[in-house]
Amino acid sequence: MTAVQQQGGAPPAPAPAPQGGPPVPSGGVRPGLADVRARAAALPPRKGVRRAIPRTNSGRIRAFVAGVVVVLVALLLLAWNGVDDARTGVKVIDTAGPQVIATGDLYFRLTDMDAQLAHALLVGDGPAHKSDRDDALARYDASRSKADDALIQAARLARDATERQTARSLLDALGRYEQLAGRALLQDENAPHAPGPPSGKVTALYRTATDMMKLELLPQAYNLTLDNGTIVRHTYEDKRSAVLTGRTVVLVTGLVLLVLLAGFQWSMAKRFRRLLNLPLALTTVAVLVVVAWTAAMLGSEASALSKAKKDGFDSILALARARAIGSSAQADQTRFLLDPARADTYEQVFQSKSQTVLYLPADNLAGYQDEVRALKSLKTSGKQQPILGFLGTEGHRASSDAHALGDVLGGFKKFQANDRQMRDLVAAGNRTQAISLQTGQAATDYAAYDESLLKLAAVHQSTFDKAMKNGKGGTAGWQYALPIAGLVVVLLLVVGIRPRLAEYR
Amino acid sequence: MRSHPAQGRTRWFGAAALGVAAAAAVAGCGIAGASESSVAHKHTLVIGVYADQPSLGQLKGRDYQGFDIDIARQVAHFMHVSDVRFKTITAEKREGWLQDGTVDLVVGSYSITPERKTKVLFAGPYYVAHQGILVRAADAARVKTVHDLAGRKVCMVPRSVSFPRVQKERGVPALPVQAAGYNDCLNKLVSKELDAVSTDDLILAGLFAKNAAGGGPPLTLVKTSFSDEPYGIGIKQGDVDGCEAVNKAITQMYQQNIPAKLLANQFRSSGLVFTKTVPQFEGCE
Repeated sequence: MTAVQQQGGAPPAPAPAPQGGPPVPSGGVRPGLADVRARAAALPPRKGVRRAIPRTNSGRIRAFVAGVVVVLVALLLLAWNGVDDARTGVKVIDTAGPQVIATGDLYFRLTDMDAQLAHALLVGDGPAHKSDRDDALARYDASRSKADDALIQAARLARDATERQTARSLLDALGRYEQLAGRALLQDENAPHAPGPPSGKVTALYRTATDMMKLELLPQAYNLTLDNGTIVRHTYEDKRSAVLTGRTVVLVTGLVLLVLLAGFQWSMAKRFRRLLNLPLALTTVAVLVVVAWTAAMLGSEASALSKAKKDGFDSILALARARAIGSSAQADQTRFLLDPARADTYEQVFQSKSQTVLYLPADNLAGYQDEVRALKSLKTSGKQQPILGFLGTEGHRASSDAHALGDVLGGFKKFQANDRQMRDLVAAGNRTQAISLQTGQAATDYAAYDESLLKLAAVHQSTFDKAMKNGKGGTAGWQYALPIAGLVVVLLLVVGIRPRLAEYR
Repeated sequence: MRSHPAQGRTRWFGAAALGVAAAAAVAGCGIAGASESSVAHKHTLVIGVYADQPSLGQLKGRDYQGFDIDIARQVAHFMHVSDVRFKTITAEKREGWLQDGTVDLVVGSYSITPERKTKVLFAGPYYVAHQGILVRAADAARVKTVHDLAGRKVCMVPRSVSFPRVQKERGVPALPVQAAGYNDCLNKLVSKELDAVSTDDLILAGLFAKNAAGGGPPLTLVKTSFSDEPYGIGIKQGDVDGCEAVNKAITQMYQQNIPAKLLANQFRSSGLVFTKTVPQFEGCE
């Protein structure tokens, strides 16, 4: 009898309570309770869902408590899920983001290898240009080594067989390219020439090498970086939406819990004629605090992810691509001088690459350069039509640094003005002067432009780092805070209902 | 008596069940619908193609044929889609049809340009065409580069960027002769109403093959490559997953060396040299 009663009285719900659960009748059945039960049993049997609704006060209290505890556990689990999503999102973006950006360097380094090779072949092996050539070759070596590093990183990020095959094919092509470059340089040393186009044999070797760079290496390097970038995009989209969903779910569950508690309060006030049950009121406040705090934290996690991705990562990657494509356009200027037979092609690709970086509609290169010269600012506000191209997109970001952006535009204008001057010199038959401009002042100006891009990227890097720091800080300690909050709520609840349940013993 | 404790237990369980149901319902609300409409998840693809471009996209009887059609089929194959339907597009309609979902993809010598990118998303390019020149074989010795078009009658198709590229971009004073389309250009070249047709090498190679098959007078395709025309696959703006899936399909297609074979099948006769390696993608974002 006693055993049976104990079984009936003990809560099956995971409600931890002091002294091992709600008070359990220790002796026989008290008359009051027996009366109530007898009365309940005397009523006609109810059907369907109504059967689940308890008919006694103590039964109602138990049902309420069970409901509150279940919803509370659900709330805490959902909150925990949200915290976990936020943490995973921050962690993946924090590690993969910089890795992806590092692989973006691959394209830039490959381009630079080909540009330095062209430069070395253009200035020739004469004593007057020995140091210039040596510098170019030293840069070639440095870029090759950095390209190797970036390629290894990219291969490591490859997620499936297709991407791994791209990485393998890149490694293979890089080996063949280096072989061709070595042969071209050796051949060039055997046939000394003044600055300008080298011998036909060398030009032929260089063409094969640069075609391989353009058609095999660079496309695959670019595509591999694009593939790598999708890791960050997918994580960002999945986790940000999961965190926001988590926030909504926490808010709704919190609301259900608050309604439940308010209903409990109301029925207690009605049945026991007590206006305020202080511990229960405190329970309600505690739940309110937990829900508001969790929702606010999840909201700020979502915005940290968004800031890191959109104002940080996207910009850095776009600027890395602008830098890579710009430097390949600069190499097309050198190739234009090196290989006059292909001048038309190199001029056209120079224009198309320049327009990829900063798009202004124009009929031809001269028209484009006039447009660039007339451009006042890259910055466009939210409602304005953005200027197209990497720099235009950058200028459309609300977060973009106006000063750094101004420096970039200044540098780009100089780059295009030098180009115009160089092509005008060639058209006037002044190739030697064009070459000394290209390898002298224009190269210095380009380096300054390149530096301004790096500075702009650094602004976004610090945005990224800050957002990631906030993201990590936002969820710190939540693995302790959530269970403690849950425990506090349950304790307050138990303190609140214990005296009421005691009235039925 | 025995029934009482059992009833008590039912009460607890009943309440618990209600709570769990409520929590589950609440949790269920939050799960957003996945992007069902993405091309990446479709089992049937409607692909917009041209019907009047020799060797590229051509409707013969009830069959679509050509390089663009072959590429479209391969892309669908690598995306694991077996049900492919083709629909004839025109240059005016392709953007609108992508936006309203009439077609899922457009594969039709669709050059990626910054302006078009504001309206549609581009996967690929699957091929980078270059501007070339088609002349009568008798003139081949005198037309080696684009500059040799100076003073010659060159076909001009309204809305096509090819003639402006010669005249404005390269600054070559060629004489425009208007035609309704590139098939019309070919007729006019054969009938000597004009001296040269200059546009994408694949279109020229298609005209070359058509002329050869029809027993026309000998023509020569001059390879000049003074422009890059990246042929992309148009997708509805915003379908980044679909764009990535198409790019993956193009990559796999190139890794198996399929485009080289397709190009050789269609254009071998023209003597054109094709790029066999995967082009640099535009990126999906």
